[in-house]
Amino acid sequence: MRIPFVRGGAEVLAKELRRVLVEAGHQAEIVAIPFKPYPPERILDHMLACRLLDLSETACMPVDRLIGLKFPAYLIPHRDKVIWMLHQHRQAYDLWQNPLSDLHTYANGAEVRAAIHAADTKLLPQSRALFTISRNVALRLKTYCGLHATPLYHPPQDAGRFYTRPAENFLYFPSRIDPLKRQSLVLEALAQTRSQVRICLSGPIEEPGFEGKCAKLAHKNGLENRVQWLGAVSEEEKRDLYARSLGVLFPPLDEDYGYITLEAMLAQKPVITCTDSGGPLEFVMHHQTGIVAEPTPEALAAAMDSLWDDRERARQWGDAARQRYDDLHIDWENVLEKLLA
Amino acid sequence: MKVLVVTSGVPFIRGGAEILADSLCQALSVAGHEAELICIPFKHYPPSRIPDHILACRLLDLSETSGVRIDRVIGLRFPAYLTPHPNKVIWLLHQHRTAYELWDHPMAGDLIHYPDGPVIREAIRQADRGLIPEAKAVYTLSESISDRLRRFCGITAEPLYSPPAHASLFYDGSPGDYFFFPSRVTRMKRQLLVIEGLARCRERTRVRFAGEADNPGELAACVDAIRHLKVENRVEWLGLVSEEQKCDLYANCLGVIFPPVAEDYGYVTLEAMLSSKPVITCTDSGGPLGFVVDRQTGLVADPTPESLGQAMDALWVDRRCASAMGEAGRARYEDLKISWEHVVEKLLC
Repeated sequence: MRIPFVRGGAEVLAKELRRVLVEAGHQAEIVAIPFKPYPPERILDHMLACRLLDLSETACMPVDRLIGLKFPAYLIPHRDKVIWMLHQHRQAYDLWQNPLSDLHTYANGAEVRAAIHAADTKLLPQSRALFTISRNVALRLKTYCGLHATPLYHPPQDAGRFYTRPAENFLYFPSRIDPLKRQSLVLEALAQTRSQVRICLSGPIEEPGFEGKCAKLAHKNGLENRVQWLGAVSEEEKRDLYARSLGVLFPPLDEDYGYITLEAMLAQKPVITCTDSGGPLEFVMHHQTGIVAEPTPEALAAAMDSLWDDRERARQWGDAARQRYDDLHIDWENVLEKLLA
Repeated sequence: MKVLVVTSGVPFIRGGAEILADSLCQALSVAGHEAELICIPFKHYPPSRIPDHILACRLLDLSETSGVRIDRVIGLRFPAYLTPHPNKVIWLLHQHRTAYELWDHPMAGDLIHYPDGPVIREAIRQADRGLIPEAKAVYTLSESISDRLRRFCGITAEPLYSPPAHASLFYDGSPGDYFFFPSRVTRMKRQLLVIEGLARCRERTRVRFAGEADNPGELAACVDAIRHLKVENRVEWLGLVSEEQKCDLYANCLGVIFPPVAEDYGYVTLEAMLSSKPVITCTDSGGPLGFVVDRQTGLVADPTPESLGQAMDALWVDRRCASAMGEAGRARYEDLKISWEHVVEKLLC
């Protein structure tokens, strides 16, 4: 399932999955069905379109396994389907009535939401097995649909290329500049730190105007000298920034999974995240591999100060984070074994 | 412009249509547009799956993506070209041929064998007749596809020719002592007919064949005929050749032989013209007839060994004439404005 012209984590994941399948000696291909979720009745059309497709065979040869990733493409029927759910249609679930959503603002929103719930609840169990990319996604599935799914973790891209260096004087916050990633919360927190904490942000700008808002916020609080905006950076630069940082900031709102946590762990850095950040909470162990703070400027500021003031402890937590990554066996072999079982 | 190229495909299968779709996307980007390919999976059997897939395509909404308008949709293959869009142009690569001219074809026909075949055929035809005209403009890949569309659906469409891949690599060398026949070895391309034609030649004409066999049976039939007709010394079987080798073989041949059955388009003709070589084709070959002008840029023979043999003899004994025809072929290619720039301009206007 994909939205034309939009490339995000899901597209990267699909390609990675195909790559590792091919490397493991399988024939693998991505089928991406376009999806436009508005007006709400179009969601129903696209669900039906997916149900009508027949992927049982290709040129008279059976397709041995179908791996469904995203709504509504994971509803495509197949006798040997396994779902590895990236996410459901969140506006019909946890983001229903969220200010960032719009489904609930339509007259037929509730009706369409009910149809999505019904389709997921009834059709997801038709698959041979149900996995999710994270515990957070599995938890939502349990809460809203009463379905049990097993989280199946996968490594970030180029996991083998992350390395560490001695900490320098900045906390690193890599993320799309986007309200859901809460750069503005971090800037507010920075204004309240006791120490002269410095942060470095990188990532493409998703929402026009949001960067301006953040810049204004930084200016208002006289933080210009303590904030560095790098914009979009290359993968190499990103790995270098991870390696040289004192720690990594990653306080998104209810993230599904979040490669950033894993990348920080690979770079042996402690992670500051929030109690409502979702995915990162599956990996960050409070006061062992990082800090889990309340999503308030005060709490985040305290967390930043605490890393800033005790470098030795920050280093130990970073080491522990890397150890935890290794203990979790986050590798593609494990993913393939489960998806193809 | 933001352009979506929309086509259908069978997962794991890659052929000419897939290459063409990729080339089109690339040409669109080169022309400064944002282009993306959408390939809807298609399984055409049992026949009842066909209306399902038509409906699925009709249900997709490609009007916008994340609030941004999609300026143009270019539909290529059935049933994906039926996906609605207010600014759609169809460049028809394929209707569902077994619902049309291949309905009762002894080798290709499939729908005809199912009890619900006739009903499904009617559904396909109705969908095409009713929905293809929704597009702002309809083009086809070739004259023979336009003909069929007119004949079966009453829809007029201008053919819009695409250049072969690597068009700039073809060149004119010095004409040697062989005809060149590059194609997959399969019944529809008629290598066997050419071997029989060779045996009927008065001159000691020679042919080099390049291309893989679709199956071992095809190849065995050709090898048998070669032995049986005692033309071993006049035939060279090259199998799969690289693009570079292919260009050299074109550049240094006396002429190109390309006599397929009802080819839709046929890049071989264009590649021969780019290499300034005359083309021998047949009256029932389809696509090549849109390009080969009989006795000016090549020879159009009857699909019989005698007639093909005569055509080969004619070029073999009059090499000056062969070379003049080749040059005329190259000039004709230029006149036809076969370029991606032209294709992009037409599809976006």
